[in-house]
Amino acid sequence: MKKIFIALFLIVAFLVILIPFASSNPDGLEKVVETYGAQETQSPWNGIMADYSIFSIENQYVSTMVAGIFGVVAVLITGLLVSKTLASNR
Amino acid sequence: MHIYDGLILNNTSLVLAAIMWVFSISIFVWSWKKAQQTYTRSITALLAISSAFVFAAQMINFPIAFGTSGHLVGGTFLAVLLGPYAAILSMTLVLGMQAIFFADGGIVAFGMNMFNMAIIGGLSYFLIKALTRKNNSQKWFVSSVFLASWVSVMLGAIITSVEISPAFSGGLGVTLPSMLLLYGIIGVGEGAITTVLLTSIQRLNPTILGGLSLLKGRTDKI
Repeated sequence: MKKIFIALFLIVAFLVILIPFASSNPDGLEKVVETYGAQETQSPWNGIMADYSIFSIENQYVSTMVAGIFGVVAVLITGLLVSKTLASNR
Repeated sequence: MHIYDGLILNNTSLVLAAIMWVFSISIFVWSWKKAQQTYTRSITALLAISSAFVFAAQMINFPIAFGTSGHLVGGTFLAVLLGPYAAILSMTLVLGMQAIFFADGGIVAFGMNMFNMAIIGGLSYFLIKALTRKNNSQKWFVSSVFLASWVSVMLGAIITSVEISPAFSGGLGVTLPSMLLLYGIIGVGEGAITTVLLTSIQRLNPTILGGLSLLKGRTDKI
Protein backbone atom coordinates (compact mmCIF):
# COMPACT_ATOMS: atom_id res chain seq x y z
CA MET A 1 0.00 0.00 0.00
CA LYS A 2 2.87 2.34 0.82
CA LYS A 3 4.27 1.74 -2.66
CA ILE A 4 0.98 2.87 -4.19
CA PHE A 5 1.00 6.15 -2.28
CA ILE A 6 4.59 6.88 -3.21
CA ALA A 7 3.76 6.20 -6.86
CA LEU A 8 0.65 8.39 -6.66
CA PHE A 9 2.73 11.21 -5.19
CA LEU A 10 5.33 10.90 -7.97
CA ILE A 11 2.73 10.82 -10.75
CA VAL A 12 0.96 13.87 -9.31
CA ALA A 13 4.32 15.65 -9.07
CA PHE A 14 4.95 14.72 -12.72
CA LEU A 15 1.63 16.37 -13.70
CA VAL A 16 2.11 19.45 -11.53
CA ILE A 17 5.52 20.09 -13.07
CA LEU A 18 4.77 19.25 -16.71
CA ILE A 19 1.22 20.57 -17.27
CA PRO A 20 2.45 24.15 -17.89
CA PHE A 21 4.82 22.86 -20.58
CA ALA A 22 2.26 20.71 -22.39
CA SER A 23 1.60 21.86 -25.94
CA SER A 24 -1.90 23.12 -26.64
CA ASN A 25 -1.53 22.62 -30.38
CA PRO A 26 -4.04 20.23 -31.94
CA ASP A 27 -2.93 16.59 -31.96
CA GLY A 28 -2.41 14.68 -35.21
CA LEU A 29 -6.03 13.62 -35.64
CA GLU A 30 -7.41 17.07 -34.74
CA LYS A 31 -4.97 18.65 -37.19
CA VAL A 32 -6.23 16.44 -40.02
CA VAL A 33 -9.82 17.45 -39.17
CA GLU A 34 -8.80 21.12 -39.00
CA THR A 35 -6.92 21.05 -42.29
CA TYR A 36 -9.36 19.15 -44.47
CA GLY A 37 -12.62 19.90 -42.69
CA ALA A 38 -14.78 16.96 -41.75
CA GLN A 39 -18.50 16.48 -41.54
CA GLU A 40 -19.01 16.54 -37.82
CA THR A 41 -22.03 16.11 -35.63
CA GLN A 42 -22.68 16.85 -32.00
CA SER A 43 -21.14 14.25 -29.70
CA PRO A 44 -23.76 12.48 -27.57
CA TRP A 45 -21.56 12.60 -24.49
CA ASN A 46 -19.33 15.47 -23.41
CA GLY A 47 -17.92 13.98 -20.27
CA ILE A 48 -17.84 15.59 -16.88
CA MET A 49 -14.53 17.37 -17.37
CA ALA A 50 -14.29 18.03 -21.08
CA ASP A 51 -10.81 19.01 -22.27
CA TYR A 52 -9.38 17.99 -18.90
CA SER A 53 -10.65 21.05 -17.16
CA ILE A 54 -13.25 21.82 -14.56
CA PHE A 55 -15.62 24.58 -15.59
CA SER A 56 -15.96 26.04 -12.10
CA ILE A 57 -12.20 26.62 -11.73
CA GLU A 58 -11.12 29.67 -13.69
CA ASN A 59 -7.37 29.26 -13.42
CA GLN A 60 -6.55 27.01 -16.35
CA TYR A 61 -3.50 25.45 -14.69
CA VAL A 62 -5.32 24.56 -11.48
CA SER A 63 -8.34 23.37 -13.43
CA THR A 64 -6.30 20.97 -15.59
CA MET A 65 -4.29 19.83 -12.59
CA VAL A 66 -7.38 18.97 -10.52
CA ALA A 67 -8.95 17.14 -13.49
CA GLY A 68 -5.69 15.28 -14.04
CA ILE A 69 -5.34 14.25 -10.42
CA PHE A 70 -8.95 13.05 -10.43
CA GLY A 71 -8.21 10.92 -13.52
CA VAL A 72 -4.99 9.51 -12.07
CA VAL A 73 -6.76 8.46 -8.86
CA ALA A 74 -9.67 6.98 -10.81
CA VAL A 75 -7.31 4.92 -13.00
CA LEU A 76 -5.26 3.87 -9.98
CA ILE A 77 -8.30 2.62 -8.06
CA THR A 78 -9.83 0.76 -11.02
CA GLY A 79 -6.38 -0.65 -11.82
CA LEU A 80 -6.15 -2.08 -8.31
CA LEU A 81 -9.65 -3.53 -8.62
CA VAL A 82 -8.79 -5.15 -11.95
CA SER A 83 -5.62 -6.74 -10.63
CA LYS A 84 -7.37 -7.94 -7.46
CA THR A 85 -10.09 -9.54 -9.59
CA LEU A 86 -7.50 -11.09 -11.88
CA ALA A 87 -5.80 -12.62 -8.86
CA SER A 88 -8.95 -13.93 -7.20
CA ASN A 89 -10.61 -15.55 -10.20
CA ARG A 90 -7.76 -17.83 -11.08
CA MET B 1 -5.32 9.51 -31.90
CA HIS B 2 -8.51 9.35 -29.83
CA ILE B 3 -11.45 9.29 -32.23
CA TYR B 4 -14.36 11.34 -30.89
CA ASP B 5 -18.00 10.54 -31.54
CA GLY B 6 -18.75 13.69 -33.54
CA LEU B 7 -16.49 12.41 -36.26
CA ILE B 8 -18.05 8.98 -36.75
CA LEU B 9 -21.79 9.52 -36.45
CA ASN B 10 -22.35 8.78 -40.13
CA ASN B 11 -23.77 5.55 -41.47
CA THR B 12 -20.56 3.99 -42.76
CA SER B 13 -18.52 4.82 -39.66
CA LEU B 14 -21.32 3.67 -37.36
CA VAL B 15 -21.25 0.22 -38.92
CA LEU B 16 -17.47 0.18 -38.48
CA ALA B 17 -17.83 1.38 -34.89
CA ALA B 18 -20.26 -1.44 -34.09
CA ILE B 19 -17.93 -4.04 -35.63
CA MET B 20 -14.98 -2.64 -33.70
CA TRP B 21 -16.93 -2.73 -30.43
CA VAL B 22 -17.69 -6.43 -30.85
CA PHE B 23 -14.19 -7.21 -32.06
CA SER B 24 -12.38 -5.26 -29.33
CA ILE B 25 -14.56 -6.58 -26.52
CA SER B 26 -13.91 -10.13 -27.72
CA ILE B 27 -10.18 -9.51 -27.63
CA PHE B 28 -10.59 -7.91 -24.21
CA VAL B 29 -12.28 -11.06 -22.88
CA TRP B 30 -9.54 -13.21 -24.40
CA SER B 31 -6.86 -10.98 -22.85
CA TRP B 32 -8.61 -11.16 -19.49
CA LYS B 33 -8.46 -14.96 -19.55
CA LYS B 34 -4.86 -14.98 -20.72
CA ALA B 35 -3.89 -12.40 -18.11
CA GLN B 36 -5.45 -14.59 -15.42
CA GLN B 37 -3.42 -17.58 -16.54
CA THR B 38 -0.15 -15.70 -16.62
CA TYR B 39 -0.91 -13.57 -13.57
CA THR B 40 1.86 -13.13 -11.08
CA ARG B 41 1.49 -11.29 -7.81
CA SER B 42 4.26 -8.92 -8.80
CA ILE B 43 2.02 -7.04 -11.21
CA THR B 44 -0.78 -6.22 -8.75
CA ALA B 45 0.60 -2.80 -7.86
CA LEU B 46 2.48 -2.41 -11.12
CA LEU B 47 -0.67 -2.67 -13.27
CA ALA B 48 -2.45 0.06 -11.33
CA ILE B 49 0.59 2.33 -11.08
CA SER B 50 1.65 2.03 -14.71
CA SER B 51 -1.93 2.61 -15.90
CA ALA B 52 -2.15 5.75 -13.79
CA PHE B 53 1.19 6.93 -15.11
CA VAL B 54 0.16 6.37 -18.74
CA PHE B 55 -3.01 8.36 -18.09
CA ALA B 56 -0.91 11.25 -16.76
CA ALA B 57 1.64 11.00 -19.55
CA GLN B 58 -1.12 11.15 -22.17
CA MET B 59 -2.10 14.58 -20.83
CA ILE B 60 1.31 16.02 -21.65
CA ASN B 61 1.34 16.89 -25.35
CA PHE B 62 4.69 17.60 -26.94
CA PRO B 63 4.89 19.87 -29.98
CA ILE B 64 5.92 18.40 -33.33
CA ALA B 65 6.09 20.09 -36.73
CA PHE B 66 3.23 21.92 -38.54
CA GLY B 67 1.68 23.45 -35.40
CA THR B 68 0.69 19.98 -34.29
CA SER B 69 1.29 18.10 -31.09
CA GLY B 70 1.36 14.50 -29.99
CA HIS B 71 1.50 12.60 -26.77
CA LEU B 72 2.69 9.23 -25.59
CA VAL B 73 0.17 6.46 -26.19
CA GLY B 74 2.06 4.07 -23.96
CA GLY B 75 0.87 0.75 -25.41
CA THR B 76 4.34 -0.64 -26.02
CA PHE B 77 5.54 0.73 -22.68
CA LEU B 78 2.78 -1.18 -20.88
CA ALA B 79 3.36 -4.28 -23.01
CA VAL B 80 7.01 -4.56 -21.97
CA LEU B 81 6.19 -3.81 -18.36
CA LEU B 82 3.10 -5.99 -17.92
CA GLY B 83 3.13 -8.45 -20.81
CA PRO B 84 0.70 -8.23 -23.74
CA TYR B 85 -2.53 -9.31 -22.06
CA ALA B 86 -2.38 -7.20 -18.91
CA ALA B 87 -1.23 -4.30 -21.11
CA ILE B 88 -4.43 -4.56 -23.15
CA LEU B 89 -6.48 -4.50 -19.93
CA SER B 90 -4.46 -1.61 -18.55
CA MET B 91 -4.75 0.54 -21.67
CA THR B 92 -8.48 -0.20 -21.96
CA LEU B 93 -8.85 1.08 -18.43
CA VAL B 94 -7.06 4.32 -19.30
CA LEU B 95 -9.15 4.79 -22.45
CA GLY B 96 -12.33 4.01 -20.51
CA MET B 97 -11.69 6.69 -17.91
CA GLN B 98 -10.76 9.19 -20.63
CA ALA B 99 -13.98 8.51 -22.53
CA ILE B 100 -16.30 8.51 -19.52
CA PHE B 101 -14.98 11.48 -17.55
CA PHE B 102 -13.15 13.62 -20.07
CA ALA B 103 -14.87 12.82 -23.39
CA ASP B 104 -11.36 12.23 -24.75
CA GLY B 105 -12.29 9.57 -27.25
CA GLY B 106 -15.96 8.80 -27.82
CA ILE B 107 -18.25 6.19 -26.32
CA VAL B 108 -19.51 5.03 -29.72
CA ALA B 109 -15.90 5.14 -30.93
CA PHE B 110 -14.64 3.23 -27.90
CA GLY B 111 -14.23 -0.07 -29.74
CA MET B 112 -12.17 1.71 -32.39
CA ASN B 113 -9.96 3.47 -29.89
CA MET B 114 -9.55 0.26 -27.93
CA PHE B 115 -8.32 -1.51 -31.00
CA ASN B 116 -6.09 1.29 -32.28
CA MET B 117 -4.32 1.92 -29.00
CA ALA B 118 -4.92 -0.81 -26.40
CA ILE B 119 -4.91 -3.90 -28.59
CA ILE B 120 -2.29 -2.88 -31.14
CA GLY B 121 -0.16 -1.50 -28.28
CA GLY B 122 -0.41 -4.66 -26.22
CA LEU B 123 0.27 -6.93 -29.18
CA SER B 124 3.38 -4.93 -30.10
CA TYR B 125 4.92 -7.11 -27.40
CA PHE B 126 5.13 -9.94 -29.91
CA LEU B 127 7.06 -7.80 -32.37
CA ILE B 128 9.69 -7.14 -29.70
CA LYS B 129 9.69 -10.79 -28.77
CA ALA B 130 10.23 -11.83 -32.38
CA LEU B 131 12.96 -9.24 -32.93
CA THR B 132 14.87 -10.16 -29.76
CA ARG B 133 14.62 -13.91 -30.21
CA LYS B 134 17.99 -14.29 -31.92
CA ASN B 135 19.85 -11.40 -30.37
CA ASN B 136 19.09 -10.37 -26.82
CA SER B 137 21.78 -7.75 -26.29
CA GLN B 138 20.67 -4.61 -24.50
CA LYS B 139 21.31 -2.44 -27.55
CA TRP B 140 19.15 -4.60 -29.76
CA PHE B 141 16.43 -4.79 -27.11
CA VAL B 142 16.27 -1.00 -26.92
CA SER B 143 16.17 -0.69 -30.72
CA SER B 144 13.39 -3.26 -30.88
CA VAL B 145 11.37 -1.39 -28.27
CA PHE B 146 11.83 1.82 -30.24
CA LEU B 147 10.76 0.18 -33.49
CA ALA B 148 7.75 -1.56 -31.91
CA SER B 149 6.57 1.72 -30.37
CA TRP B 150 6.81 3.47 -33.71
CA VAL B 151 5.11 0.64 -35.59
CA SER B 152 2.26 0.46 -33.07
CA VAL B 153 1.57 4.18 -33.46
CA MET B 154 1.72 3.93 -37.26
CA LEU B 155 -0.62 0.92 -37.38
CA GLY B 156 -3.03 2.75 -35.09
CA ALA B 157 -2.87 5.80 -37.35
CA ILE B 158 -3.51 3.73 -40.50
CA ILE B 159 -6.59 2.09 -39.02
CA THR B 160 -7.77 5.42 -37.59
CA SER B 161 -7.55 7.02 -41.02
CA VAL B 162 -9.78 4.26 -42.45
CA GLU B 163 -12.29 4.61 -39.61
CA ILE B 164 -12.62 8.39 -39.90
CA SER B 165 -12.41 8.58 -43.70
CA PRO B 166 -16.21 8.62 -44.33
CA ALA B 167 -16.37 12.04 -42.62
CA PHE B 168 -14.01 13.59 -45.19
CA SER B 169 -15.03 14.50 -48.71
CA GLY B 170 -11.60 13.38 -49.92
CA GLY B 171 -12.00 10.09 -48.04
CA LEU B 172 -9.03 7.88 -47.36
CA GLY B 173 -7.08 9.78 -49.99
CA VAL B 174 -6.69 12.71 -47.60
CA THR B 175 -6.83 11.00 -44.21
CA LEU B 176 -4.24 8.28 -44.86
CA PRO B 177 -1.32 10.37 -46.13
CA SER B 178 -1.84 13.14 -43.59
CA MET B 179 -2.22 10.74 -40.66
CA LEU B 180 0.85 8.79 -41.77
CA LEU B 181 2.91 11.95 -42.03
CA LEU B 182 1.89 13.33 -38.62
CA TYR B 183 1.98 10.05 -36.73
CA GLY B 184 5.24 9.09 -38.41
CA ILE B 185 6.72 12.01 -36.48
CA ILE B 186 4.67 11.49 -33.31
CA GLY B 187 5.73 7.82 -33.38
CA VAL B 188 9.37 8.87 -33.12
CA GLY B 189 8.43 10.69 -29.91
CA GLU B 190 6.62 7.56 -28.75
CA GLY B 191 9.71 5.45 -29.42
CA ALA B 192 12.05 7.90 -27.71
CA ILE B 193 9.89 8.30 -24.58
CA THR B 194 9.20 4.56 -24.34
CA THR B 195 12.87 3.59 -24.56
CA VAL B 196 13.94 6.28 -22.09
CA LEU B 197 11.24 5.24 -19.62
CA LEU B 198 12.02 1.54 -19.86
CA THR B 199 15.79 1.87 -19.65
CA SER B 200 15.38 4.19 -16.65
CA ILE B 201 13.16 1.65 -14.93
CA GLN B 202 15.69 -1.05 -15.77
CA ARG B 203 18.43 0.99 -14.14
CA LEU B 204 16.48 2.15 -11.09
CA ASN B 205 14.71 -1.08 -10.29
CA PRO B 206 15.87 -4.06 -12.30
CA THR B 207 13.67 -6.45 -10.33
CA ILE B 208 10.44 -4.87 -11.66
CA LEU B 209 11.24 -6.04 -15.14
CA GLY B 210 12.71 -9.33 -13.98
CA GLY B 211 9.45 -11.14 -13.24
CA LEU B 212 7.44 -10.64 -16.37
CA SER B 213 9.25 -8.83 -19.04
CA LEU B 214 11.07 -9.80 -22.14
CA LEU B 215 14.32 -9.73 -20.24
CA LYS B 216 15.98 -12.51 -18.31
CA GLY B 217 14.88 -15.18 -20.74
CA ARG B 218 11.52 -15.64 -19.10
CA THR B 219 9.46 -14.86 -22.14
CA ASP B 220 8.36 -18.47 -22.54
CA LYS B 221 5.95 -18.12 -19.68
CA ILE B 222 3.91 -15.41 -21.30
